[in-house]
Amino acid sequence: MKTSLTTELHEKIREVFTELELMIGWEAGFDALHTTPVFIRSADDVGRLTWGLLCAQNLTTYLGKDLTLMAAARESNKKIGICVKGCDSRSIVGLIQDRLIERDRLYIIGLPCQGVIDWKKVAARMPISGISSVRIAGQEVIIEGAAGERRFDLQELLARRCLRCLYPNPLISDCVVGETVAPRVKKQDVHQDVAKIEGLSLQDRLAFWQQELDRCLRCYACRNACPFCICQDRCIAETRDPKWLSQYVKLPEKFLFHFIHAMHLAGRCTECGECERVCPMDIPVTLIKEELNKITAELLDYEAGLDVNAVPPLVTFNPSETGL
Amino acid sequence: MVSASMYIAQDKLTTTLDELAKKFELWVPVAAMEKQRVVRFMPYQAGMEPVLAEQSGLGPKNALLPQVETLLKFSYRKDVDDPGQKRLQLEAPEPPKQALIFGARPCDARGFLIFDQVFSHGPYVDDIYTARRETTLIATLVCLDEDAACFCSSVGSGPADMEGSDLRLTPIAGGYVVEALNDRAQPVMEVLAEPASEIQLAAARKVQEEAAQRRVGGADLTQSRASFLKRFEDMGYWREMVSQCLSCGICTYVCPTCYCFSITDEMKEDRGERIRSWDSCMFYTYTAEASGHNPRPTRLERYRNRVGHKFGYFPEKYQGMIACCGCGRCIRGCPVSIDIRRVAENLKESSDACA
Repeated sequence: MKTSLTTELHEKIREVFTELELMIGWEAGFDALHTTPVFIRSADDVGRLTWGLLCAQNLTTYLGKDLTLMAAARESNKKIGICVKGCDSRSIVGLIQDRLIERDRLYIIGLPCQGVIDWKKVAARMPISGISSVRIAGQEVIIEGAAGERRFDLQELLARRCLRCLYPNPLISDCVVGETVAPRVKKQDVHQDVAKIEGLSLQDRLAFWQQELDRCLRCYACRNACPFCICQDRCIAETRDPKWLSQYVKLPEKFLFHFIHAMHLAGRCTECGECERVCPMDIPVTLIKEELNKITAELLDYEAGLDVNAVPPLVTFNPSETGL
Repeated sequence: MVSASMYIAQDKLTTTLDELAKKFELWVPVAAMEKQRVVRFMPYQAGMEPVLAEQSGLGPKNALLPQVETLLKFSYRKDVDDPGQKRLQLEAPEPPKQALIFGARPCDARGFLIFDQVFSHGPYVDDIYTARRETTLIATLVCLDEDAACFCSSVGSGPADMEGSDLRLTPIAGGYVVEALNDRAQPVMEVLAEPASEIQLAAARKVQEEAAQRRVGGADLTQSRASFLKRFEDMGYWREMVSQCLSCGICTYVCPTCYCFSITDEMKEDRGERIRSWDSCMFYTYTAEASGHNPRPTRLERYRNRVGHKFGYFPEKYQGMIACCGCGRCIRGCPVSIDIRRVAENLKESSDACA
């Protein structure tokens, strides 16, 4: 997928590459529907980078988890380059707020984003075997398949997280590639999906989550893909001493893990939706975080990942706080 | 006398499965939900619609190596002769039932051949696995589907490979031809009502021959051991190949050949179970030592181990057999689309150039 935006991205990176320790971006994956994150360490490799509808991964997750990246940049007195979509940029803001990364050690390439395709939605509509290219023309996605070309409305193929994205344009960046994009959703409609769950009776709500979480394999992809799950190798789900969770894969273990995961993210989750995208069992786990964010907004008038100078309400204490 | 080949019409499939389920613990690939299309092998229940036209996301591994299984039950009871003491009582798990995995793929069946080496062929024999293996039949589909992640021919298998299977299911127009591949399959054949006609058999032969000629995947990966060993200490290589790894457990959990497990005692008050549960070499805790040292501290060493196990250490130990069945699930399922074929293929490149 070589678009003019990809070419522009290459040019922008080449201009600054001498200042960079490395550049984190996306390159083509194993088929025409997937990209894979890539760590570019040589200017000669910049051409490998791509940008478009398939660049699903939130690359900022590497910043908070691989502390050697920042350490290497400090050592060489260079910067870590990173490509971010609107949603990813909120994670950068959050990571700076959490003091996990240093703003002046980053070179952020902001990419206004029309949304990314959920390849499973493609698979539900056409055979994915033999797909040779995916491109966009306006709001139409053109997919070259084994049996010829198919056209879809972009809206139809977008990931759920993109359908409810309020911030398609990067909130923090050193340079921007591409034109500003208008959000697809109005602020009052952002929580529609989770409002549906709220509308259920408590019993039905429990049944919903029992049915969904029953499929969980405890593979921890949701946790490991999350830019804010930084306990890493000390996660309560896996510690042996103390051993908080048994090795069973019954509902109580799954409930505990997922709800603890979500509680740790209350007021921090920037709703990049990676936890849900990576789930091999298609469990809509972001909904849990969306509910917590909705509550955080209602109670504390706070939305995570918007302002590097804001103090997340759940990491501070205000004795005069009322209404809680 | 039961005919050597039977036929199941598509519209008789669920009633046939209902019959089979009376005799066997029956495992079939089903979609988890209508809209969410994760297909996984589950114990069959009446009303389930099997999904046979696509590869399952989660194969039948659970049927032979459950994600969690009880190795023994234990309890501490007051000793009647010496009431100050408690005596340990042990209880063996229930013996396995006759089981049938219906609608596996050649790659799924191959996964179990790898398990057999480890659990059944000695020098250590795992009684629980072996007993279950002996009571489980595998009915495998001739595979007509492939996508960009499939590579069964690269690992010495192929879409018509029936090694390790007891019955062959060949999809033809309107249904499936079922053939017994050994005597073990007889109890299944006895349940089936309709013998395959000459025409159906001829159609099945054609499908089988075409499948046998298809080559799925690229370069041969069966001889990667030497190049892996040369690459072992080349951390630059592993950094280049798998820096994007998130160290989650998807690749190992969906893998038909990954069998690593943990054993824990899960106890409540004075009774409990010793369970065996899937573990993953992608996890930090997998090699964390009591001292606090971890010989595989980062995702690079962990992913290297995954490749090494499959293409290096396993063939070294088991007569050259590699521990990969080419199903492509780790590629399809990886959140960051790591392609193990690329990692294994590229082992060769500059390590040979250096030599």
